[in-house]
Formats: sequence, structure tokens, C-alpha cells
Amino acid sequence: MDLALTEDQEMLKKVAADFVKAEVPAHQMTQWYKNKQTFQPQLIKKAAALQWLGMMLPEQYGGAGVSTMDCAVVFEELGRGPTPGPLFTSGVLSAQMIFEAGTEEQRKTLLPRLCKGELIVVPAITDKAAYWGPEAVETRLSKTPGGYILNGAKRFVFDADAATSFLCAARTEEGKVVFALVDRNSPGVTIASHVGFFISVAEVRFKQVAVAPSQLLGSSGASWATLEAALDKALPILSAYQVGATQEVFDITCEYTRTRVVFSQPIGRFQRVQDHCVDISIHLDQARWATYETIWRIDSGMDARVAVHEAKATASDGYYHGTNYAHMVWAGPGTDYSHPMMAHSVLAHTLYQYLGTPGHHKRLMMDALYPRA
Amino acid sequence: MDFNVSADPPQVVEFRKEVAAWMAEQFKGHEHLRWSASWSTREDAEEYKFRRGLAEKLGAKGWLFPLYAKKYGGADLSVDHQMVLETELFKYGLNLSHVFYTLARIVAPVMIRWGTDEQKAEFLPPITRAQTCVWQVLTEPHGGSDIANCQTKAIRDGSDYIVNGQKTMVGHHLPPDFLWTLVCTNPKGKRHENLAWLHIPANLPGVEIQHMDMMMGIKNTVFFDNVRVPAKYLIGGENNGWKVASTHMELEHGGDGRIAADPLVERVIEYCRNTHIDGKPIMEDPRVRDLIADIMIELNTLRRFNQLIYWRRFAKKPHPYGGPQQRYYQRMLRLRNGERLQAIMGADALEQNLSVHEVIDFEYAVRTGPGQLHGGGTLDTDRLIFARRLGLGRPTTEKAPETD
Repeated sequence: MDLALTEDQEMLKKVAADFVKAEVPAHQMTQWYKNKQTFQPQLIKKAAALQWLGMMLPEQYGGAGVSTMDCAVVFEELGRGPTPGPLFTSGVLSAQMIFEAGTEEQRKTLLPRLCKGELIVVPAITDKAAYWGPEAVETRLSKTPGGYILNGAKRFVFDADAATSFLCAARTEEGKVVFALVDRNSPGVTIASHVGFFISVAEVRFKQVAVAPSQLLGSSGASWATLEAALDKALPILSAYQVGATQEVFDITCEYTRTRVVFSQPIGRFQRVQDHCVDISIHLDQARWATYETIWRIDSGMDARVAVHEAKATASDGYYHGTNYAHMVWAGPGTDYSHPMMAHSVLAHTLYQYLGTPGHHKRLMMDALYPRA
Repeated sequence: MDFNVSADPPQVVEFRKEVAAWMAEQFKGHEHLRWSASWSTREDAEEYKFRRGLAEKLGAKGWLFPLYAKKYGGADLSVDHQMVLETELFKYGLNLSHVFYTLARIVAPVMIRWGTDEQKAEFLPPITRAQTCVWQVLTEPHGGSDIANCQTKAIRDGSDYIVNGQKTMVGHHLPPDFLWTLVCTNPKGKRHENLAWLHIPANLPGVEIQHMDMMMGIKNTVFFDNVRVPAKYLIGGENNGWKVASTHMELEHGGDGRIAADPLVERVIEYCRNTHIDGKPIMEDPRVRDLIADIMIELNTLRRFNQLIYWRRFAKKPHPYGGPQQRYYQRMLRLRNGERLQAIMGADALEQNLSVHEVIDFEYAVRTGPGQLHGGGTLDTDRLIFARRLGLGRPTTEKAPETD
């Protein structure tokens, strides 16, 4: 048993922390979130230079060949920003899908460009926001003489703004779920930003979009199981990002209890205020250690699917509830869109939904452990 | 990172075999026993005799405190050896820290930290070898969580202390050999500086113990009526009782850590698979599955909190707030799980079942929710300490007290 990071991981952590301090300063970050400008191309370029895009991929495909824990250490620090942009969507989830299910040709042509940030591939998965299972893939892929036509609308595509192409889930005429790589500029693709209490999401519509057979992932479009396998490796990274974000919320909130004075004393002397911080800490550490244990399982080659769902459930729960408790401490100032709390609050709600709510993942966890008759 | 608690390094591979064989030998013929929880009224003479005997045999080998020097009743072994002993014993449903009712797991490290060489040599081996039973007697009728407001007086008289007062809600249904306690040496002295810690032989004249019938079992009131305690039983020196108390309470309040998982959820699953409604096991009911998921995740979280504290303790990087965090979380979790169990199985969750170990009896799991909210300080005290360790509203953070 050893629950410490290695020296190399401590170094990675420091590099990532310095990156966030320099590139995602709070005054700048709040403006990006406030103005819904969360795609910041310069961040992608700099992250690519540090080999953080596709960093778990083997070096032959442009990756850094690091372990899941190494990658998580970086994403945890990025979460502290919270650093916006498609570092996870393209650099982890899509990278993983292409690596696991792509043809050798696709791996060779797509992955090195993805790792350089020239290509930003964003998964567009379900058509309904209310469910993240395969049943919610309704976009149709119909055969034509020369290839396929894609029709449908993805309600909730995270990082859609940043995409150079989408990895779009679609249902074939036979009812199978497949994935197609669709260029953002293909005729018939439109992106409609949502207005509401979420961030970096848009509806992506595909209307009579022509798809060549070579655009299908793998030789025949792969399957829903491809996504599940990729998520087994990617979700703990998203969980680590949420852990880092919750840590930041916790740290700034604890600091606020020391500096904010009312009724002639720092608010941290009030036990009810203390209780909110205690509750944030519990959500934070619940998520942190579920995530680390999951990643340890992955890196040790153990089966981790049950743990992956637990990690996503606790990390999304933790960020969401942690942020809500923090609002109890911050009160009015924390609801100003120019305050870092608002970036966290909006993002916590978004990531609570993204790739499935805690409730969804708890059910998947139970199904993986105790299959239903 | 490595979460594995039984990935034996080469030097303990043989040790695990030795321990496993030894345990099998000890438990042979006693498979019918079902362990009662602390203070429980379930415990009968046969169970107590077996557990006390097992503890003495473990103690004779130095295995109850394997890290300690042999002269203090240990075995001079490593943390890896200790983890072997913990995991092997856990296979039989028992924990190294609680083979029978005694507070050795807390008293011994406090003695190591604060005892003189003479005291350690004399007092430690009987404790660590399970030859004596020690109770901690801290709570007073008017004190509750405010333990520093100690009214039990110990006034120096020559080479003795004369102890008068009363401690309550302490101990077990069978009498102790020693009473491990905080006393006030100077009622007019400054708070926190007028206290002393005594290791009082329970057979001294003037000690009287009365049973109390409580929610979680038998507890007691201990009366001290002019009890003459020789000064050699003073631990940590004159007026240093609060520092000794801080070490003690850190260990009592979750700071000791553990590496075993809670087996409750497996029994819940078994119940849900075997209970049918309308021809279908309730395990198929989505509502039941959601409840089980929450029980499971929270027990996993508790296991990880315990494991982290355990690792940090023995890696000599004590967790700054792990103890109070673990305690607060565990208490709230028990309450939530009590309600979840009732939601899953109705009144079956309220009926005692003597055919299983008490810690996995549903009735106990429900009762322990409200029943263990307060022992050793309320959950509000947990949060208060937690907040100090986080440094909320303060320029500095309070450090965890030294343990061992």
C-alpha cells in the first residue's frame, strides 16, 4: 500500500499548476465563462506543446505514453482553473476512441494531428439530453449508392464550439449504433449555441450530411461498446478534473472564511459556516479517493468498470454539491458572473449532466456488478 | 499509488502462510460463534472466553501490537506484517484492534508517547499482551463533550492522589482491570493546565461500578470515593493531562485508521436476492438498486477514508483532519444507511438476528445510527475539530496531535 504520488507525478502536478496560474488566471477565466468564450485556441496550442493532448496514447501516434494516473494528475490541476476547452473531449475521449477502434490508417493520420491540436475531434453522442444510454442515439445513418447520409440533432455536445470535426454516434438502418467522423464544415452541419445555466455546450444538427465509408470509425463504424471501452479510460480523467475543480472551490471558500468579517469576526468562526466547509471537504475527498482507487485499478490491469462508474458518480456529485455548499458561504458575491464561483457553478451543473448524471452511473455500476435478469 | 492491502512484499509471504495456518487452528471448533459488537448485551460467556483467549494467544506472540518492541509486548515486525495479521484475522470477522473489549488500541500508543520508561516497562506488556482489560473512563455526568471541564478531583497527598468523582457511560458488561482517565488536580487552576492523566487499578478500595442499560448495550457509571492512587500511575507528568488527552482523543476520534471493509452490503444483496415480491426478487427493483448503490458507495468511501488515515499514520505523515472527517462521515452514513435498510426491507430491518455477526445484523445497523452519534464526543464536536484543523476563520491551522 502506498497512497502517495510518485516524484515524477509531483513534478507533473507542479508543471500543470504553474500552467493554470499563468494561462488561466482567475480574472481572465471568469471573463471567458461569463462571455461564453470557453474555447481559447492559445490554451490548446500550449497544452499540445506540453504533450497534454492525447497524452495517454503511445508515442508512435503522437502521444506521451503516460499512465492513467500521470494523465489524471495533470487534469486534476487543469480542473482547478477550471481550464476550459477540448482538452478532455478531444485529447482524451476521442483520442481513446480512435486509438481503440480506428483503422491503422485512421490512427496514423488522425492521432498525431489531434495530439498537435490541429485536429479537434469532439464526440457528439446522444440526441436526447435526458439519457446517456445507446437508446438515446436517434441520429440516422442511411445508405446511399456512394456512401451514407446523416440526419439528426445532438442536443448536448460539450465543446462543440472548438470542434474541427465531430465523432458522431448514429443508428444504422439495421439499428446498430456506429460512429462517423464528420468535418465541422461539411454541408448540412450547423451548431446552435444554447442559452442557459450551462457552459461550452451546443446543439449540433446534421441535415442530409454526406458521409463517405472512410469516415466511419474503424472499418464498419465500431459500436456502442467502443464508446464504453473508451469511457472506461476517459471517465476517471474527467473525474480527476472535477476533483481538481472541487479542490479549488474548497480552497477559495476556506480562504474566504478567514478574510470575510461580519459581526466583528471572520465568518469561519461561525459553526454553521464551518459546517458548509466540512461538507465540501467530504464531497471532495469522497470523489478524490474513489477516482484515485479507480485509476490505480486501471493502471494495475484490474477490471475497473464498476469503479469507473463510481468515480464519475462521486466526482460529478462532489463538484455539484461542493459548489452548492460553497454558495452558502459566499452568499451574494459568489453569484456575480465576474466571480470565479460562477464559472465553477455553471461548469459543475454542466459536468453533472455531461456523459451521464450520478444517478445514471450508479445504475450502470449496479448493472455491472449485479446484472438484471 | 497502490491501494492493495495484501500485496505481500517477499519478506512477508511466508509470514502470511504462518498466520493463516495459525488462525485456522485457533478458530477450529468455534465456527458456530457469532461476534457481538462492542458493549453488546448479545455477548455470552462462551464468546467472551474465546475472544479473550484468542487475544491472549495473539498477545503472547506479540501479534496484537506487532510493530512494538518485544520488551513492550510487541514483535518488532513491520507494517507489512501488521497488515497480514489484520487481513487474516478479518477473514474470521474480527479486527486486531478489538479482539475482546479493551481500549488497548488507544491506551498503548498513548502510553508509548507519554509514559516514562519505567511505566512503559511495567504497564505496557500486560495491556499489549491482552492480560488486562482497560476501560477509558472520560465522560462525566455534567461534562459531555466538554471533557476539559473535568470535575473528578485528584488531590495530591504525599506520594498518592486522592480521587473523588464520577465517570459515566463507559466500559463493558464485565469488569476492567484498569481505568484510564482524566482528572482535575487543581479545581481553581487554569483550564487545560489543571488536569492529569491516571492509569488507575480498578481493584483499589473506593472504586464502585454500576451498570447502565443503554441503546447500544451495557455501559457503566464508575464512582471514585476517596480512592488512593499511587503517583506512579500518573501518565505524562503533573498538569499535563490535556496533552495526553489530545493524543488519546486523536486516536479515539478516527485517527487510528483501519484497512478492513464493512461487510454489511454483501448481506443486503443476499437478502434482496432471496426476498421475492410478486414472484420477483426485490434485487430487480430499480428503487432497491438505487438504494443499494448509495449504501455501497458510501461504505466504499468510508473504507478509503480509513485506509488513507491508516497509511498516513504508519507512513508518519499524520492526516491533518482525517480523524474528525472519518468520524463525522461514519456517523452520518450510519444514519443514512439505517433509513435505507428500512426503505429496502421494511420491518425486517428492525428484527434482531442472532445467526449472524452483530455488525452485519440489520437491526444493529439501524440502531447504531442514532445510537453511535455521540460516543467520545458528539458529531458537532467532530465538525468543530475538523474546522479547526482546516483553519476556518483562523490565520493558522491546528495540527493533528502526535499519536505514536
